[in-house]
Formats: sequence, structure tokens, C-alpha cells
Amino acid sequence: MIAALARPGSSPLHRTAAARKLAALAAIATLLFFVDAPAPLGFAFAAGLAAARSTGVRFAEIGSDLKGPAAVLAVLGLADWWLVDAATAVSVVLRLGAIALFAHAVTVTTSTAELTAVLERLFVPAERLGLLDAARAALTVTLAIRFVPLIVEEAREIRQAQAARGLDGSITALAVPLMVRVIVRAEALADAIDARGFPPERAVVAPSRSPEIRPDREVPTP
Amino acid sequence: MTTRDLGLVALMAAVIVALGAVPAIPLAAGVPITLQSMGVMLAGLVLGPRRGAAAVAVVIALVALGLPVLAGGRGGLGVFVGPTAGFLVGWLVAAFVTGFLAMVFEAPEKPTWLRTAQLTAAAVIGGIVALYVCGILWLAFFVKMGLVKAFMVSLPFVPGDVAKAIVAALVTVKVRQAVAIERK
Repeated sequence: MIAALARPGSSPLHRTAAARKLAALAAIATLLFFVDAPAPLGFAFAAGLAAARSTGVRFAEIGSDLKGPAAVLAVLGLADWWLVDAATAVSVVLRLGAIALFAHAVTVTTSTAELTAVLERLFVPAERLGLLDAARAALTVTLAIRFVPLIVEEAREIRQAQAARGLDGSITALAVPLMVRVIVRAEALADAIDARGFPPERAVVAPSRSPEIRPDREVPTP
Repeated sequence: MTTRDLGLVALMAAVIVALGAVPAIPLAAGVPITLQSMGVMLAGLVLGPRRGAAAVAVVIALVALGLPVLAGGRGGLGVFVGPTAGFLVGWLVAAFVTGFLAMVFEAPEKPTWLRTAQLTAAAVIGGIVALYVCGILWLAFFVKMGLVKAFMVSLPFVPGDVAKAIVAALVTVKVRQAVAIERK
């Protein structure tokens, strides 16, 4: 769903720094929220399509990637059309569609590692205040991204197994095994992280800028 | 935070996202409900206040990153200025209050029905009362809807959320019978 969406490539968006893309996405999403006129929203939607296509992903693929959001948009649009009017429905669909396309363009061209790096930088000010450990917080977010497709898949498997026993539709029959599996898996995950010696040296996160030569290190020779 | 806490928080965040991806259940009244807010209650009930709120914070970070992690594939910074922003940020409060109350009520020697009832109360107070206060205040003042109208608009979602609180409590009792996990 959200992981494994990034695809390798060399498009202009692939080469843009992740922080810039995220800032641009935030700006676009925020800006579009204040726009209601269909003409600029239509332009934004077209720009979103262009941005998504510029990543080298074909329209057919973009369509299948965004099938879920598109279905929701259709429902929202119909509801607005019925409850309010057609103009509102058009605006809502164009706005959310444009944002989804821009977000998709960023998702496709930005690896999880790049996202973590940006997050880590964002977390550093909070770390200075003693609120959190930047590297660990960033890892937590990345892990969540990584595990969403797995958990969705697991939920689907459990549902199928329960349906075979005639328990389809029962939320407890889905949620109990899912939560138990998650707790058990968290232990294994923690062991794996510890085994890899995480977190790395603090110097990697915040390089020391002190000019003095440390006596315990070799001075590099030219 | 230990590495195990980190794993639990990350996976719980993934569960909250996954529950948003499970198809919504249409209510009799025609208002669709999703299981995502039940995920927030579960985060507090199972993991406790701090880890539960941390899991929600991770989900909110994913939303801010422009990922479609909310129910119905919503995401992006637009959500933070949208009419439902109060309900999203309110999840933090909801998970914390739910988890805190679950800790307060915790006593292993109590009969199962009493523990279920108390966990339901924790989920209702945290996941509904505290959450709706945040959501309604945002609707009333930032969306300029007025308190009464904001309250009325939010009311249809209460029955579904009460049902989710009951299920979340039942699930928590069963999960804690199956695996040992402390709250913090």
C-alpha cells in the first residue's frame, strides 16, 4: 500500500532532494486546501498528472497504484453531488485527486532511506530539547512504513482463515490474532535491531564541529 | 524507550494504518465506520499511555509525510488544515487517556466481565469523550461552525464508536490472556 511504491529511476524528481520534494508537497497540499474554484484546481490536477508521469511511471500503472484513493474520491464526489451540488463535488474531487497525484509522485521517487534521513533531521531539534532520540524516532517511523503492507497482508490471511471457519465478519476474530502476532513479532524485531548494533554512533547524527585535534586519533596526512 | 518498545510502537502504528485499509462497515443509518479509531483505542488499551500515544504520533508523522495512511487513503498536510484535523490530533490525547485509565483500572484478580467493562469505560472516556472534545473544538472554532452545530455533526458517529470501544476492550482482554504485555 505505501511501502515498496518507490521505484528506481533517474527522472528529475528522482534527482531532487527528498526534503525539497516533501516541502513542495506540503506547500501544494496546504495551498490547494484554500482553493475552491474549479479552474485552478483542474490545472493543479493536470500538473499532478504531469508530475506523476514525469517519474517514468506509465498512466496505467499510476491508475492501478491509486485505485483505492480513486474509489474513495468517487464516493466523496457522489456524496457531495447529492448533498451539496455538482460544483462542490468537482472541486473536492479535483483537489484531493491533485494532492494524491503529487503525493504519489513523491512516494514513487523517494526511497524509504531518504525519507528517514529527512525525518532524522527534523527530529534533531526535538532531540536537543531532550524530547526524543532522533535516530530511534526515525527508525520507528521507517519500520511502520515498512510493516504496513505486511500487516495488511496478515489481516487478509487471518480473515481468510476465519472465514473458512465461518467467522467472517467478526472483528474480534480478526483483531485478537492480529494483535497477538504483532506483539510476538515486535520481540523478534527488537532482537534483530539490537543484533545490528542500532543506534549507530551519535557522531553520525550530529557531526562534531569542534576544531581541536583529538589526541586519541591519528591526524590525517595529505 | 527500549528497542522492544520501539518495535511495538512501530508495529502498532502499522496496525492502525492497516485497520484503516480494512473495508468500512456500512451502518444501518448509512454512515460508514472504519476500524481505524478502534486501532487508536487498542494502542492505548494494549500498549499503555506513552507507547500508545507514540504509535499514534508515528501515524500522524506518516500523514504529514504525505502518505495515504488514513482510512479511505487520505493523507498529506491537507489533513492538518481540514475540518477533521481536530480528530486526527485528538488521537494523541485519546490513546494517552485510554492507556492511562486502563493502567489505573488494571488489576489481574478482577473477574473478566469487570475488566472488560472497565476497559470499555477507558476506551469510551479516552477514545470518544477526550477525542470528541478535541475534534468538536476544532470544528467549532477553526472551521467556525459553532459549538452546537459541531456537536450535532459529530453525534452520528457516537454509536459506532461505542461499539468499537466495546470490541476494543474485548480484544484487549483476550490478547492479554494470550501474551504477557505490560502497559507503559
